Amino acid sequence: MLIYLHALGFGLVTASILALASVALTLQFGVTNYVNFAHGELLTFGAYFAWLANSHYGWNIWIALLVGAILTGVLAVIINLIVLQPFTKKGYPVLFMLVVTFGLSLILSNVLLATFGADFQRYTVPPDTQYNIGPFLLTASQLIIIGIAIVTMIGLHVLLNYTKLGKAMRAMSDNPALARNCGIDTELVTNFTWLLTGFLAGLAGVVLALNISSFQPAFGGDFLFVIFAAVILGGIGRPYGAMAGALVIGVVTEIAAIPLSSDYKNDAAFAILVLVLLFRPQGIFASEGKA
Amino acid sequence: MDSIVLYATTLLVFFFVNNILTWGLNIQFGYAGILNFAFIIFMALGAYVTGVFTLPMANGISGQTYVLGVSWPFPLTLLMGGLASAAVGLLVGLIALKRLRSDYMAIVTVAVGVITYDFVGNTTGLFNGWDGLGGVPSPLQDRFSISYGAYQWVFVLLAGVVMLCMWWLAQKIDSSPYGRTLRAIREDQDVAESFGKNTFKYRMSAMIIGCFYAGIAGGLLIEYITAINPSGWTTGETFVIWTALLIGGTGNNWGAALGALLVPVLFQEVTRFLPQVASNPDLIPAMRNVIVGALLITVLWFRPQGIIPERKWRFYDLPLKRGGPAAPTATEGANVAAG
Repeated sequence: MLIYLHALGFGLVTASILALASVALTLQFGVTNYVNFAHGELLTFGAYFAWLANSHYGWNIWIALLVGAILTGVLAVIINLIVLQPFTKKGYPVLFMLVVTFGLSLILSNVLLATFGADFQRYTVPPDTQYNIGPFLLTASQLIIIGIAIVTMIGLHVLLNYTKLGKAMRAMSDNPALARNCGIDTELVTNFTWLLTGFLAGLAGVVLALNISSFQPAFGGDFLFVIFAAVILGGIGRPYGAMAGALVIGVVTEIAAIPLSSDYKNDAAFAILVLVLLFRPQGIFASEGKA
Repeated sequence: MDSIVLYATTLLVFFFVNNILTWGLNIQFGYAGILNFAFIIFMALGAYVTGVFTLPMANGISGQTYVLGVSWPFPLTLLMGGLASAAVGLLVGLIALKRLRSDYMAIVTVAVGVITYDFVGNTTGLFNGWDGLGGVPSPLQDRFSISYGAYQWVFVLLAGVVMLCMWWLAQKIDSSPYGRTLRAIREDQDVAESFGKNTFKYRMSAMIIGCFYAGIAGGLLIEYITAINPSGWTTGETFVIWTALLIGGTGNNWGAALGALLVPVLFQEVTRFLPQVASNPDLIPAMRNVIVGALLITVLWFRPQGIIPERKWRFYDLPLKRGGPAAPTATEGANVAAG
């Protein structure tokens, strides 16, 4: 029984990581209206940026985390300005945008492979101590990961509900043409969304790498469908749905790892994705999806 | 001399296999507008299934563990590979094709890709796990008492016959009412639906046929190179086929064939002779993938229809005006004849 409670604790950590990554994906989808298949590579880039700051320049991991997230945000804006925005401006249909982002994912992951090789990398972190918190057994950094996720989610809530920028993002997500006619600078909002998405994805990448302790150029791309599972479970384009979806997927995959073996734990996320698509494709929390 | 002959035959077989692959993807994307980002998975499944139908029972001597092992004769094994891929294509289609949005299809294929890759690798009893299958006997090799070099030409002939069958089928699809319906669905699903077409059924059949093509291509490949393991079917390989199709031209089989010649055969073969970098053995393959991805995006930007574009279908004016069908003008008639 205790082992399941411990798994629940690890599930909360995975859910925190997943929440950062899937809220990022779903916010960007809401504003741009196409799915970014290079989202996993943003996570990987975040992990490598932080690794450079941490291992090469010897910075503390938590400062490196912030550096990684900011640089990933900038990278996402650059990718949007150079590649994605020209395509959307030329009026390419969504079908082609998906192929473009698919191509981007190949380019990005192989740039990392060419630069750093396929070796597994780790962060230089002081030895972690474990704490018994209620029934859970968590390390200090795992507690910080949960803390980061909670603070970020509260921050997003404030941004989306109480700031002009957040309201503009929601307006664009509902109806881009109407938002533009109301005088919203949609290009600026789109670029800000990419900055935010990159920042959150970068955060998620670093804490994911910290949690599984080693990473290589393919690790973000392999995690992408788990993010998709959380996003679709909560209803695509809905930030609060993505948070809830992340909680469910995170806990279920960690608990499923006990009877199944951890080699197959992601299959549980896949099973949920399939069930949702078959029976409730608009997501379990949405009354009426964008799909 | 022998090595040049061997190289030439290898290139020919690769070209034939890639032709079949690109036609399969063309049926899915070019005609039906289905995004399959795990296309190479279906090739791999075809290869594995063909392999386990060809190999004798796993006896522990070769150190491999796999299912079946029934030593079936050649054309049957290939067919089983194609059918297995088609069956998995059906399952994936059942999950994803009911949704109107193309994103969902693409998301499901990405997930299926990662899951299948890990599952085949981790489940050693299925297709020998990460080590993969090896020593698959080439078809009919024991029937001919000829040299290894001469047998290569026999295989080229076999693969060529298979390719021609697939070409014939692809051309049939291109010019049939079925192909026109697929194009109509690709252009506007709602309009096709309102004309009484069961779009789900049509898209599903395109998915299945495309996967069947991939399975046949995979089967041919394993019969030729006699081995396959998971490193041979990564996401990068899916990209090569996608880039080939988009460069050559979607929606027609000539374009797909040209793409198969340019990207998987010409580009991949020429860059194969680049020297290895000792300090980073992944550098050259990674740079090749970066170039393939950049090519894909560049082609989409400058020439989304590809080198050989899909033929524009022209029709005479509908006989709605009084006096029956309007006679085409001279230029229109010439265009119709030329197009």
